[in-house]
Amino acid sequence: MSERSLPENAASATQNINAAIRSRRAVSAVPARKTADISYKVKRNLGLTLEYLFLIAMTVFAIFPLYYVLQASFNATQQLITTTLQLFPQSPTLGDYTYILGQTSFLHWLLNTTMLVGGSTLFGLIISVLGAYALSRFKFKGRLSTLTFLLTLQAFPGLLAITAYYQILQSLHLTGTLEGLMLIYTAGSIIFGAWNIKGYFDTLPKELEEAAYVDGASTFRTFWQIMLPLASPSIAATALISFIGGFNEFALANLVLTPNAAQSNITITVGLYSLANDHSTPWGYFAAASVLVTVPLVIIFLLLQRYLQSGLTIGSVKG
Amino acid sequence: MLQVKKPTIALFLFPTFLFIALVNIFPIAYTIYISLTNENTFNEYLQTYHFVGLKNFQSILTEANTALIPVVFITLLYVALCIGSFLVIGMITAMILNDKRIRGLKIWRALIILPWAMPSFVTALIWKFLFDYNFGPFNNILRYITQNVNTGVNWLGSPIPAFIAVVVVNLWLSYPFFTIVILGALQSIPEELNDAAKVDGASPWQRFREVTLPLLVPAITPITVMSGITTFQMFNTVWLITAGGPFTDITKPGATDFVMLYFYNYFTTGAFTNYGKAAATAIIVFILLLIVILTGFRLTGFNREETAK
Repeated sequence: MSERSLPENAASATQNINAAIRSRRAVSAVPARKTADISYKVKRNLGLTLEYLFLIAMTVFAIFPLYYVLQASFNATQQLITTTLQLFPQSPTLGDYTYILGQTSFLHWLLNTTMLVGGSTLFGLIISVLGAYALSRFKFKGRLSTLTFLLTLQAFPGLLAITAYYQILQSLHLTGTLEGLMLIYTAGSIIFGAWNIKGYFDTLPKELEEAAYVDGASTFRTFWQIMLPLASPSIAATALISFIGGFNEFALANLVLTPNAAQSNITITVGLYSLANDHSTPWGYFAAASVLVTVPLVIIFLLLQRYLQSGLTIGSVKG
Repeated sequence: MLQVKKPTIALFLFPTFLFIALVNIFPIAYTIYISLTNENTFNEYLQTYHFVGLKNFQSILTEANTALIPVVFITLLYVALCIGSFLVIGMITAMILNDKRIRGLKIWRALIILPWAMPSFVTALIWKFLFDYNFGPFNNILRYITQNVNTGVNWLGSPIPAFIAVVVVNLWLSYPFFTIVILGALQSIPEELNDAAKVDGASPWQRFREVTLPLLVPAITPITVMSGITTFQMFNTVWLITAGGPFTDITKPGATDFVMLYFYNYFTTGAFTNYGKAAATAIIVFILLLIVILTGFRLTGFNREETAK
């Protein structure tokens, strides 16, 4: 309380304390240094060495799977079927890549997934941005209970209702199609999107809209031209998270899509799963395909990750 | 709050409600409906199933050999092990990355959060190969160290190693998120606090316990709760690696048959499926989750600000 009522005094008091701490440390450090110098230095360096060792261990842990798959993708396919340890390609080749790009429907899978998830992310964003704005700004009965209700619905794991999804798709004649999956993915991204973007709208001052109304702008125009651009960090973060979520979805896609003979109608997750689990296909093919998928995604993620910090208001959602 | 005409409000909210009604509410209602019937693979085809009231619920909760209890138990064990390891590893890496004496902090940071940037389904399939008994590099490393071609852990083929394997993979996927959040919280703690404690003669452990940790709690609690919930609902990664196995007894759930996997397997692989009973189990799990989530939100004060408005 006192800090708030007397900001200047408080600030100067803190400064005084800081100065006191500094001088006290300087004074006490001088005589202590001579006697405790060696053991202090050893202790300090030991700590630092342990920290470096831990960092190295964590880095190995973090990059080993990526490194292993990368080197495997350049390995001649037979070289992987071995019981001796091999961490470098014996005779590097691009054979696995030419096989994946030429002999499989890999590019179809990638295209299917990109269109499917791109579509569901876009539709999901349009819908949730509208809902989020209404839930953040408009005064209406049942606003709070709607928000709680949405969270409650989110607690229902969609996987438990697989048969119900099947019923919906059947009655809409969308079984086995990417459009059907797009519908479910879209809906799946709405609740998180609405909550997250709503949280961001909450932080924007409402004087912005009041000023726009005074200038004669309509509700929709104010929303579209003023509020939406301001909310772009949270929209970007939401888009990234829905995109990653949809891209990684496997359970429903595996159930809904029936692969045709060329396997050209499935998503990348289902396709890679079949590559990894078909014992007649060498693992090197899978390795090359996963490098082709992973590298662009890592680049997108690294480019957009700064939005994740500013645009995530709920803050605690994993991709 | 803005005063806006009702039709405008309806226009903004309509698409959200439409989709939610179709893809969120309908499935829940449908599941509740099925849970009150005796629908199964045979009478589903003939459309001859009928209402049985709460019989499914009764049989699930009273049956001695019901799979629900062991499945929920191993799921909770998995959640506890995962969250514990996320916190420990996330905390240690964050504290080290917050140490200004370390050279090249930015590079270390980028390397250590790399798993976060990779698509999780791809890495799950990669990990599956890393654990492979015959040709996986982990066993090859063991063989190299012991110089014995016949050694090796049957990682995915025996219950305990398989369980450890899925914990390790989930740790790999999730610790970067904890590291980043904890690092952010650490950086917001003013250095003066630690310095003052140092002057007062506090040991590093005391400083951590009494100064740093209490200030980290507000940042750690929500991510712990959220992560606990997502781990409880874990499906993709574990299914891609073990598919719920290894199964030692055909009538019992597998060693990594966590709640969601158990359901998926039940619905998709069984020749005879008792939909009514499965739906009832789904509803019970939903209620359990709801209790956990609502307590979690209350605990973290997630919704407090909103309801106070």
